[in-house]
Amino acid sequence: MNASMKRALPYALWLGMALCIWGAFFYAPLAAAFIGQSSRILFFHVPLAWTAFIAFFTAAFWSAVYLWGGRKARHDRAAAAAVELGFLFGVLATITGSLWARIMWNAFWNWDPRQTSIVLVLLFYGAYLALRSAVADREARARFSAVYALIGVVVTPFFFFIVPRITESLHPEPVINADRHLDMEARMFQVLLGSFFTYTALFLWMHNLRSRLMALAERAHAD
Amino acid sequence: MSSATSSWLASAVAVFAKDWRCELRSRYALHAIALFAVTTLVVASSSLGPLGADKSQAVTVLPALLWLILLFAAAAGLPRAFVHEEEAHTSAALRLAAPPSALFAGKLAYGASLLLGLEALIAPLYLALMSLDVPSPGLFAATLLAGGYGLAAGSSLIAALASQARGRSTLFSVLAFPVLLPLLLLAIELTRNAVAGQPAGVALPQLLLYDASVTVAGLMLFPFVWNP
Amino acid sequence: MQSVSMSFTGLTRRFGRVRALSSATAEVAGGGVLVVTGSNGAGKSTLLRCLAGLLAPDSGRIEHVEDGRALPPEERRLRIGWVAPDLAFYDELTTLENLTFFAKLRGLPPRRGVELLERVGLPADRDAGALSSGMRQRLRWAWALLHRPRALLLDEPFQNLDSEGEATARALVAEHLAAGGLAVIASPVPLEVDGVVCHLELAR
Repeated sequence: MNASMKRALPYALWLGMALCIWGAFFYAPLAAAFIGQSSRILFFHVPLAWTAFIAFFTAAFWSAVYLWGGRKARHDRAAAAAVELGFLFGVLATITGSLWARIMWNAFWNWDPRQTSIVLVLLFYGAYLALRSAVADREARARFSAVYALIGVVVTPFFFFIVPRITESLHPEPVINADRHLDMEARMFQVLLGSFFTYTALFLWMHNLRSRLMALAERAHAD
Repeated sequence: MSSATSSWLASAVAVFAKDWRCELRSRYALHAIALFAVTTLVVASSSLGPLGADKSQAVTVLPALLWLILLFAAAAGLPRAFVHEEEAHTSAALRLAAPPSALFAGKLAYGASLLLGLEALIAPLYLALMSLDVPSPGLFAATLLAGGYGLAAGSSLIAALASQARGRSTLFSVLAFPVLLPLLLLAIELTRNAVAGQPAGVALPQLLLYDASVTVAGLMLFPFVWNP
Repeated sequence: MQSVSMSFTGLTRRFGRVRALSSATAEVAGGGVLVVTGSNGAGKSTLLRCLAGLLAPDSGRIEHVEDGRALPPEERRLRIGWVAPDLAFYDELTTLENLTFFAKLRGLPPRRGVELLERVGLPADRDAGALSSGMRQRLRWAWALLHRPRALLLDEPFQNLDSEGEATARALVAEHLAAGGLAVIASPVPLEVDGVVCHLELAR
């Protein structure tokens, strides 16, 4: 990618985000079963949750690359930046979710399986960040946190088997439900799909910035 | 059996035997873990004992309490296996003499035997003090076995991580609880089923899958934790 | 005749802001001794820990060759012999139990421990926790030689030893070199060693 395209990228992203927000409020119709305007928050909530998962998978990917791919400091930074952003997006998804829950179910929090699962996943990545701050040596910190991120890949999927059995769900069907039938108005689907794409691009851009910032901080710290 | 496998096994057995020998001479972890479990057991039973009268409440609450006691007893005793190596500065000698995966297997066997021994002491006592009937003793025993093993496997790997960082004991809890949570949820569910006389359901295969995944992950990842 | 050589180039290690080891380069072959000197904090121990595989250098290369084959780090770690001030054993076990445990880990006959304890002049049934600092140093020597390593990494190897202990340790080094092994010795003060000696002076 040449320099002028690189400079244009943030503007394209800005435009994309503006379109997503506009689409959520003015283009998409209201969903029938939802109270008032409450369905509009889903155009933020769902892509945020999606991006959080992209981020956690990115973190696991870079952690594996760090351990088996020659122990490069930049791979460790990429993993750490992905967890930080995944945590941010996950928290925002939880907040938007519980705002919506307050309107629909009359309570911010009711230990719905999805609420429970995301809290457990965030707890895990919170522990990841605690581990990073507890190890002073750069090499050891990178190694330990890469291992912990990979333990996360092994352990967190269990939440999604177990938790739904324990609590009853009121959560609406996922975007594409079990019988692969798309139960959604076309314009809603367009906004949601566009948001998935744009939020993922937003994540990748923020991830690049954060990784570079970490590299600079490390260099400043070393001198 | 090839000579590589048998020497790997011999190293693992040597670590297991060494840990037990040191433990039986100092009794640090044994005392900590057993006293902790018995103390909480007494506190729990004296404050919740009357609950035993109400069957439905007992089935809901008591299995969760049993596993919380076991979790905290494990957190009190198991990290010691690795923390001791760091505090006594013996870890360098181990790093230079033992293949890491064999070392992990030996430590895991030690932790699992310690925890299963504790369960053999605590579980009957708990049932008696809480006057809790178990209509499915087979399922109850299988849950204790698989759950205790998983608790030891998860704790061993996390203990190896935490022992090399600052604020070891707090960090251990912070790191271990999210990892052990699926195991706890499954073990509590299964214990409930055993106490209510219901079948195991999918929770038992899931618990075994958890044990297997954590063991494989431990054997694969431990070398990265242990050596630079 | 055994064949061994060790070389390292540009080894650097930082601890946070502190540059503990800065671009160290040297080589040593079988029968030879590399004496590493430098003031406190010059990075002698850091260098030896890197060579042993106990610490990963930030940059630089280490090559440990035995019988014409360069050893990967995980094998290097198990092959070297190591004596260092912070090397410790299990206080709850006796000297012999300690050595027997490590012999088992390495797949060696337990008799090896008895031989070495006699050689360094230590009682077999004393708890390691009840040893004096000089006796601890003797135990470190016995431990380091268990598996007949070809490369010895010795960090202040004669500290705390009495004159008889130092004579034994020096004789062990001489035998090791005569058999074709190599040694890297770190010392804060200049050190006289017999044999083919090269020097590396580390600056802070």
